[in-house]
Amino acid sequence: MNSTEEFVAMLREDLALPVTAADLESGFDDLPGWDSVHLLALLTAVERRTGRMISLPDLLEAGSLREVYALVAH
Amino acid sequence: MGTAMNSPDGSAVCAADGDGDDPFSLFRSDRVVSRYPEVAAALGALGEAYLVRAGRILAGLDPDEVLRAHPAVPAVTVAVTGHGTLSQLVPALTAELARHGLLLRPFLGAFDGYVFELSDPASRLYAAGAELTLCVLDPMIVFDDVPAVWRPGDVSRVFEEKLAVIERLVKTFESAGRGTLVLNTVPLPGIFLSRLVDRRSRRELGIIWREANARLLRLADDHPRLSVIDLDPLVAEGIAVTEPRLSVYAKAHLSPELLARYGREIGHLARQVTGRAKKCLVLDLDGTLWGGVLGEDGIEGIEVAEGHRGEAFRGFQQVVKQLGAQGVLVAAVSKNELEPVREAFRGAPGMTLAENDFVRIVANWRPKHDNLKELAEALNLGVDSFVFVDDSPLECGLVRRELPAVAVVQVDGEPALHGPKLLRDGWFDAAELTAEDRTRVVKYREEFERKDFLDGFDSLQDYLRELKVSVRLFAAGEPEVPRLSQLTLRTNQFNLTTLRLQKPEVTTLLKDPASLVLAIRSGDRFGDNGLVGAVFLRRADEVLHIDNFLLSCRVFSRGIEQTCLAAILDHARDTGAAAVAGSYRPTAKNGVVKDFYPRYGFRAVGEDGEIAAFRHDLGERLARPEHVSLREDFTGAGGAL
Repeated sequence: MNSTEEFVAMLREDLALPVTAADLESGFDDLPGWDSVHLLALLTAVERRTGRMISLPDLLEAGSLREVYALVAH
Repeated sequence: MGTAMNSPDGSAVCAADGDGDDPFSLFRSDRVVSRYPEVAAALGALGEAYLVRAGRILAGLDPDEVLRAHPAVPAVTVAVTGHGTLSQLVPALTAELARHGLLLRPFLGAFDGYVFELSDPASRLYAAGAELTLCVLDPMIVFDDVPAVWRPGDVSRVFEEKLAVIERLVKTFESAGRGTLVLNTVPLPGIFLSRLVDRRSRRELGIIWREANARLLRLADDHPRLSVIDLDPLVAEGIAVTEPRLSVYAKAHLSPELLARYGREIGHLARQVTGRAKKCLVLDLDGTLWGGVLGEDGIEGIEVAEGHRGEAFRGFQQVVKQLGAQGVLVAAVSKNELEPVREAFRGAPGMTLAENDFVRIVANWRPKHDNLKELAEALNLGVDSFVFVDDSPLECGLVRRELPAVAVVQVDGEPALHGPKLLRDGWFDAAELTAEDRTRVVKYREEFERKDFLDGFDSLQDYLRELKVSVRLFAAGEPEVPRLSQLTLRTNQFNLTTLRLQKPEVTTLLKDPASLVLAIRSGDRFGDNGLVGAVFLRRADEVLHIDNFLLSCRVFSRGIEQTCLAAILDHARDTGAAAVAGSYRPTAKNGVVKDFYPRYGFRAVGEDGEIAAFRHDLGERLARPEHVSLREDFTGAGGAL
C-alpha cells in the first residue's frame, strides 16, 4: 500500500465503501455506512493485496481511515 | 470480460469502470437498484472472489427501495443470531440469495444473543418473523466455558449442557417462531486437539466432539422445522474453521471463508423454502456426458467408461443417474443426429446412463435455447426450473443471454470436475423425498406417450374419453403430509394463492377441526399419476373457504380440477354451507389459473390489494365432466368439515 490514492481505491473496490480522500481524516463515527465489521474485511483485503500481516489489535484501535492507512502503509 | 477478470487480486477490474463488457460494472454503478433483476445473471457470470464484494454493495441497498422498483422480486427475511460476531455473514448471505434471484431482508441479532433471543418469545428476533432463522454455532460456545486447564471430560460436560440449552431453544422456536430454524454442526479446530499431548485424550476428545455433533444432526429428526447444516464436509473442501486473530480480537469465531461457504448453503435452503428448487437437469452430450465427439469418433470411440478420462465421465454419469433416481428430471439437448445418440445409449460398451434414464433426448442442430424452450413446454415447466450443463463456453453464453432464468453450469475440459461443479450448488435440494420423486421420470415419460396418443384424436373430447381419467379426492391423513407440503413448495403454475406450507404446518391443518385438507390422486389408461393435487379448506360461519387449490402441472386440462371443484361445491351444499369462497393471489407464474373461479360460476366480490376474492352462492350446480370418474371421501383420516 504505497499511496492514499491506492488505499482509497481499495476501500471503494474491495469494501464497497463510497469514500474519497476527503474522508480520510473523519472519525469512523462520521463516516457514512461505516461499521466495525469493515475493519475485519479491511484486514483480509489489505493482507491479500500486500501479502503483509497487519496487527488486528492496532487496527481495532484506529479511530479514522488516516490512522488505518498509517498501519497498512509502508 | 477478458483479461481484467483474471487478475489475481482483482485490481485490474477498476480500470474497466463503465465498460459494458465488465461483469462487475453493474455492481459499481448507481443503477444497481433499477437493474436489480439483472443481478442474478451477473453474479452467475462472476467469479467467486467477486461474490462477497458484490454482496457488500448489495447489502448496502435498501431492500424496500429495491422492492418499490421491482415488486415481483421475492424477498426473504433471514434472521441471524449466534455466539460470536456474525455481521460478516450478511454480505455473503446477500450475494448468495441474490444469485438465486432472491432479495435478502436481514435481521442481525445482538452479539452472543442467541440464548436470550431464542428463549424469549417476545424478542426482536421473533418479531422479525423470518422465513429462516440462523443460529450460528461455533467452537467457542464450548471452549469459552471450559476451565483454563481442561480435560476431555470438561468438554463433554459443557457440550452436553449446551446441547440441552439448544434443545430447549428449538422447542421454544417451535411454539414462538415461524419458518425454519437453522443450526449447524460445530467443527473442531485442530488447535484445541493439539493442546492435549497424549494420543488417548485426543482420541477421546474426537469421539466426544463427533458424538455431540451427531446429536445436533439428530435433533432435526424430532423437530421438523429444524434444519441442521453439516459444516464438516464444507470444512473438508479446504476451508479453515477459524482465523485465530479474528477469533481472539473480534470474537468472530468462524473464518470469513467458512461463513461465506455456509452462506451458500443458506442460499440453497432459501431457494427451497421459497419453492424455487430446480426440477430438470439438461445435459449436453459430447464433452459433457462423454469424451470425444460422437459424430466423428463413433460409438466405439467416445470415452464413457475405459481409460482415465473415460472413468471420469463414468463418474459424472453416475452422479446424473443418482440425481435422476431421486426425482430430478434428466434430459439431453445435444447438437447431434438423434439416431446415433440413441444407439450410443443403447450400445456403447460401459455406458452408465440408459435411454430410459432420460425424460427426453433432444438431438438436432437447432439453437439450444430454442430446444430448451420447447422442452419446457413439453414438460409443462418453466425454464427457470432448468439447470443446463455444457462444456462449450459459446453454448453456455448463448443460453445465459437468451434464457437468463436457466441456471447454467459451465463445465470444461476436465471431466473429473464435472460432478463437483454440478453438485456445488445444491440445485435440486429437497427437505425429504416422496414416493412421487422416485417415479417422476416414469410419470413424465408416460406423459409424452399421452401426448402422442392425443395427436391421434380429432377432438380433445374424444381424447379425454379414451384417456379414462380417474380421480380420488379424499381427506388427507399423516401419510400424505410430506407430499402435500412438497406440492405447496414446488407447484408454481396451478397454485391459486401460493400458500407455501412446511410439513408441520400441514399437520397442524390436519388436526384443526375447522380445516379440511383434501388430497387429489389421479390416474388414467397409461398409469397412476400419483398424488397430484391438494385443496385446503376452512369453514368459518356458514362459508366454506378454499384457502388454496393446487394441481401438478403434469395433469392440467383434463377435467380433474373441474371434477374436484364440483365435488367440493356439492359437499358444501350437502353440509349446509351458504357459500364457498375462493381467492387468487397473482404471482409471476400462476396466470394460468387467474380465471379459475369465474370460469366455474364464482362471482368476483372485490379485491384486497393484489388478491382477488370470489364467491359461489351454491345456486346452480357445477357440472362434473363426464369423462372423469371420481371417488370422493371427505370424512377419511383427516375428518369431515
